[in-house]
Amino acid sequence: MLGATVNGTLGHSVLLVGLICATFGALATVYGIRTGDSRLLRTTQRYAFGVALAGVAAFGVMERALVDRDFTLAYVQQVGSADTPFLFNITAIWSALEGSILLWLLILVGYTAVIARRFRKRLADPLVAWALVVMFVVCIFFFVLTLGPADAFRAGAIGVTKGTGPNPLLQNHILVLFHPPILYLGYVGMTVPFAFAIAALITGRVGERWLTETRRFALFAWGFLTIGILLGGWWSYEVLGWSGVWGWDPVENASLLPWLTGTAYIHSVLVQERRGMLRVWNLTLLVSTFALTILGTFLTRSGVIKSVHAFSNGTIGPYLLSFFGIVAVVSLGLIAWRGDRLRSPGAIDSPMSREGAFLANNVLFTVFAFVVLLGTVFPLIVEALQNRTIKVGSPYFESMVVPFGLVLLFLMAVAPVLPWRKASTELLRDRLFWPAWVGVIAMVVPLVFGATGFAALLAFGLGGFAAGAASRQLILATRRQGLRGLVGRANGGMVVHIGVIIVAVALVASTTYTHSSVIELTVGKQASYGGHTFELVAVEGFTTARSNGVRAKVRVDNAKDYSPAITTYTAFGSNVPTPSVRNGVLDDIYLTIEPGAAPGDKTATIKVFIKPLVVWLWIGGLLMVVGTGLSGFPGKRRRRPTDPTSAPIPIGPDPDPVSEEPVSV
Amino acid sequence: MSTATAPAPAPLNRKLKRWPGWVVLLGVVIVALLIGSTRSTGPLTDEDRLDGIAQHIACPECEGESVYESQSPAAQNIRIQIKSLISQGTFSDDQIIAYVETNFGTKTQLVPKATGFDAVVWALPVFAGVCAIAGLTVAFRRWRSAADTVPTEADRAIVDAALAEQDDEH
Repeated sequence: MLGATVNGTLGHSVLLVGLICATFGALATVYGIRTGDSRLLRTTQRYAFGVALAGVAAFGVMERALVDRDFTLAYVQQVGSADTPFLFNITAIWSALEGSILLWLLILVGYTAVIARRFRKRLADPLVAWALVVMFVVCIFFFVLTLGPADAFRAGAIGVTKGTGPNPLLQNHILVLFHPPILYLGYVGMTVPFAFAIAALITGRVGERWLTETRRFALFAWGFLTIGILLGGWWSYEVLGWSGVWGWDPVENASLLPWLTGTAYIHSVLVQERRGMLRVWNLTLLVSTFALTILGTFLTRSGVIKSVHAFSNGTIGPYLLSFFGIVAVVSLGLIAWRGDRLRSPGAIDSPMSREGAFLANNVLFTVFAFVVLLGTVFPLIVEALQNRTIKVGSPYFESMVVPFGLVLLFLMAVAPVLPWRKASTELLRDRLFWPAWVGVIAMVVPLVFGATGFAALLAFGLGGFAAGAASRQLILATRRQGLRGLVGRANGGMVVHIGVIIVAVALVASTTYTHSSVIELTVGKQASYGGHTFELVAVEGFTTARSNGVRAKVRVDNAKDYSPAITTYTAFGSNVPTPSVRNGVLDDIYLTIEPGAAPGDKTATIKVFIKPLVVWLWIGGLLMVVGTGLSGFPGKRRRRPTDPTSAPIPIGPDPDPVSEEPVSV
Repeated sequence: MSTATAPAPAPLNRKLKRWPGWVVLLGVVIVALLIGSTRSTGPLTDEDRLDGIAQHIACPECEGESVYESQSPAAQNIRIQIKSLISQGTFSDDQIIAYVETNFGTKTQLVPKATGFDAVVWALPVFAGVCAIAGLTVAFRRWRSAADTVPTEADRAIVDAALAEQDDEH
């Protein structure tokens, strides 16, 4: 197993140390819990830090090997290259399977150390101790992967002195530096609430306390996952050359699935904290979210499903599938075992209540997740049962997403104005009136400017309706509390809602109203399309150490020049289109050059996409990030974490800003 | 059971929010949707039509990409073929897709058929949606009947005792 090289030996050694630390950490903690030895339990932190150090060291060794171009390692032979710029040599670590697992491990051990540090004064608490055991066990699994089927430190073929570098798509945009680590911070971050959920089941402390312990971890993991997905869309838009942000590719779906169940969870957890209800549901959602991260990795990294994003195949499949099975069986077994304690005494009095809307939202997200999973794995099912191949692509998912999206927008409009327990018709009529008119305006204004299509206009209307409802709550909260009214779960959540609405509207507009044309441009002559002028300035060639190519300088609207290009990476021999985009508040002009152009040509064929509102995808995403940050901090009327939130709601003012003092707006 | 009620808004505000205001709103929405969904979008350009068709066809040499998304030579070749068929002006989108399917293999469609076993991928989401709605309905009904349970004398005695104890403390 040990490689013959310095980096290989060092890498394997620290991974072994990490595996040993994680194993002893898990065993010592379990022994400490069993014997009630609090002194032993307090040593858990040392094991966690040991695991973290080993993970960081392994990652560091691999980075060093890549930067030093240590071609004695098979992984460096695969993704390293003397010609690759420094930045992409750094990011090359997550450009294939083995390095991605190292990144996963790095973040996982980081979370483990943070948990051990955060709860250092309560390490003897069985809930925390069991949560750490779960974290250690997950760490063990990933250490085993890095020493087995995803061994990044395996010695390579002797005598190799150069490599091809990472996939060309992963070495031409700076977003490669941010998208995978941030996505993994979210993906792997879901391990923390999962660990506490399992700990709660094992200890039988299935009340609401463990939820408050992990609330911020769940929220920030969700936030990172959201940012990661949006950055992935941005990368796709800037790099792949087809002008889209989301292709319903299996890897994209793998990141969306835990996001959907995670989104359901961060809503339904409020019902449990407030009413003590939906305990089984919340546990199931958390388990599903974590299990889906493993299943998604299996689907996209095992080679069972081909994807433009997969960038790797390996023998890791059976390991991931087995782990997924173990997680599912153990978790469901624990939930069944604790069934008697998970029964909640309360009842949702009316569908016309905050908790009723949350439940409907949850069911919708769950069914949507099921549909995405079904579409993703259906080709596998057909192949297994009927020995034939089919493909399920974006047209299927897009036809499915429309009804879900519309109903979710409607729920986003209605839910924020609903009080807990039950709402009267008069109250709804009062609170929804102005938000509904905002929706009407949001529908009529695009119509006046020529928008068409039932679903798109309905989406704009519902988006405006939802934005009106969210703004209403923020206005009420800031009137009462000033800027502090933007902070806290309910109000920060409304900022997130506004971000989601902006993203949704931008997605609808950019997919429904995109137009494209292929234009033959000649130097010195202007052509028009979509209300813009295009003029070819020159067709130029370029050469770098790792590539050569051709780009067309195109002047848009007699102003700035844009340069769509086709780059040929010499090590791969493949052509990679590089679009050039003029971003605008109302629309983007997205240019690609069609094949066949040569340096010095006086003509070039350019494909022009006019894409409305794309920049609002990123603005909405930014707002979601800001809102998530605001949600992570307690509002003014903070409950103490030790308060029994499942206790009957006391008679008196409702702490919710809207329910507490309904004001007519 | 506590029921939140609406406050008393200002007179004009209150008048606006009565049913006529909502009826006007509904009318505007219906008219807007009717206009938007029946208004002609104008003739599609050949390129728009090409993009629409290409999105339904899988690139035969790529991993998970459509002919619309892929920049591979195979995808470019199919796009050229589709463009040629569109320019002839006699073929429908379905005929063009069928042509591509015949000439480039049966795996090229990205939309599963609604017949045979493939129909499962269309039917299951509908089934899941129906189950979800039915489940929610049953759950809310059960909760409502539980909430409507009339407290027994014993329940009332417990509450009275608790209230008396509270009064004593004050």
